[in-house]
Amino acid sequence: MRRTLPSLALLFAPFVSPAAQSLGERVAGSDGLTQVVFPSRPGVCGDGQSTIGNVLGRSNYYGGDVQFSGHGSWSDRPCVHGPARVVATVIGREVTRLRTYVGPVPAASADTRTITASASDASAWLSDIATRGTGRVASDAILPLVIADAPQPWPLLLRVARDDSRPRDVRRSALTWLANGVNDHLGIADTRDNTDEDEMRTQAVFVLSQRPKAESVPELIELARSSKHGSVRRSAIFWLGQTGDPRAVEVFAELLRQ
Amino acid sequence: MRSVTWLAASALATSQLAGQSLASRVDAVRDGRVLMTFASRPGVCGDDRGSMWIQGSRKSWSTGDREFVCIRSPVRVAIGRADKQSVSVRTRVGGRWSAGQGDVDLGEVSPTDAAEYLLGLAHTVGGNSADDAVSAAAFADAGDQSPGFVRLIRDDDASMDGRKQALFWLGQSDYPTADLVRLRESLKSHTLREHYTFVLSQRHEDAAVDGLIDVARHDSDPEIRKQAMFWLGQMKEPKAIKFLQDILTR
Repeated sequence: MRRTLPSLALLFAPFVSPAAQSLGERVAGSDGLTQVVFPSRPGVCGDGQSTIGNVLGRSNYYGGDVQFSGHGSWSDRPCVHGPARVVATVIGREVTRLRTYVGPVPAASADTRTITASASDASAWLSDIATRGTGRVASDAILPLVIADAPQPWPLLLRVARDDSRPRDVRRSALTWLANGVNDHLGIADTRDNTDEDEMRTQAVFVLSQRPKAESVPELIELARSSKHGSVRRSAIFWLGQTGDPRAVEVFAELLRQ
Repeated sequence: MRSVTWLAASALATSQLAGQSLASRVDAVRDGRVLMTFASRPGVCGDDRGSMWIQGSRKSWSTGDREFVCIRSPVRVAIGRADKQSVSVRTRVGGRWSAGQGDVDLGEVSPTDAAEYLLGLAHTVGGNSADDAVSAAAFADAGDQSPGFVRLIRDDDASMDGRKQALFWLGQSDYPTADLVRLRESLKSHTLREHYTFVLSQRHEDAAVDGLIDVARHDSDPEIRKQAMFWLGQMKEPKAIKFLQDILTR
């Protein structure tokens, strides 16, 4: 009997349940398209095919692999709360592209595998791509991380933004999302320019952000920390995120602690 | 006696030709192209590939993978004629036209006459032609063209391209900054007022900063005010930056 048990274990080894594999291994298990479906945060909505709304605040919308913001023709699209769906392109057992959708899940085409995952499993998989992936896919992983119904990704994004070994684009992308996260955290993501003066102040922030970094970054930091005008603060945080400057990361970390 | 008569007639014809205005020489052509060449101002450059500019301190400049090397040459203008009307203007610095059968080449003309004529023509031709006519006048070695630029800027019936170009070259000329600031009062069009903010920002003088601040504070159109703020931000003038900072703390 003692001899039989190890043999049985060996016999069953190739048939280990797929659930025991990490989500990353399952996605990368075969080349082609795999869509991972997982719960999105409450309030996040989309049309299931292109637009995503209410990501952080009300007016941020993201379309598949195209990012855009504000109001316009995209805002006419239906916005239905539903699961997040990340379509991964796998080539040579490597994820090379991620496209993210929210809302009604369309019928998968014959060439697309579907994996239903928990938000925490999806988050772990996406975190791995954001922290270790190369190229555009690492940046692509951040949006679904933000919308997964899992713990906030800000600590992870702070790590990515501080990590000198990560590609510049990934760090910049992390910083942009951190700025959005900070504005959401401070409750000013939806602050609008209600008056003419607000509009001019927001323009002044933008104009100062276009000055040389040696001047603009300290100005933006000061405004991000302490402007009494919500629209100024929101705009300063946004443009600070666009600078890619390392000082911005520490300011964002500080503001996220408030 | 006959030979004296012939000589007198010949002298009269020559003097008539010399006195004939450039406009009438162009107008004499019913259809085809009228070509002319005239001396360019010091610093005018072409690259033989259609680019033209006025040289700063650098001998060459580049954008992307293209390098622009200055070739100093006269200005060449081709005026398209159709049914006795001037319908197009093309301007080049350097190179040569490939003359066609219907072309009438006036040869080298006075740069002063050319500039005056082309600025006049810019009131009636449209689009790129107006643009080219104004540029040709600006490149001509013809002294101060600012009165002609101002007339064109104020002509509501002229094409917007030509008026914008005139505003640009007026800003680049020696036209006094105080007058340039005052010109704002006569600019009704949104496009011109927007362009004006850029033109004024290129004058790095106190009066220009004050003028732009005035636009940023008082223009009735918020978009123009924003544009003025943008150009203030691009200036290296402490007063401009202070103005922006003050907006944020009010």
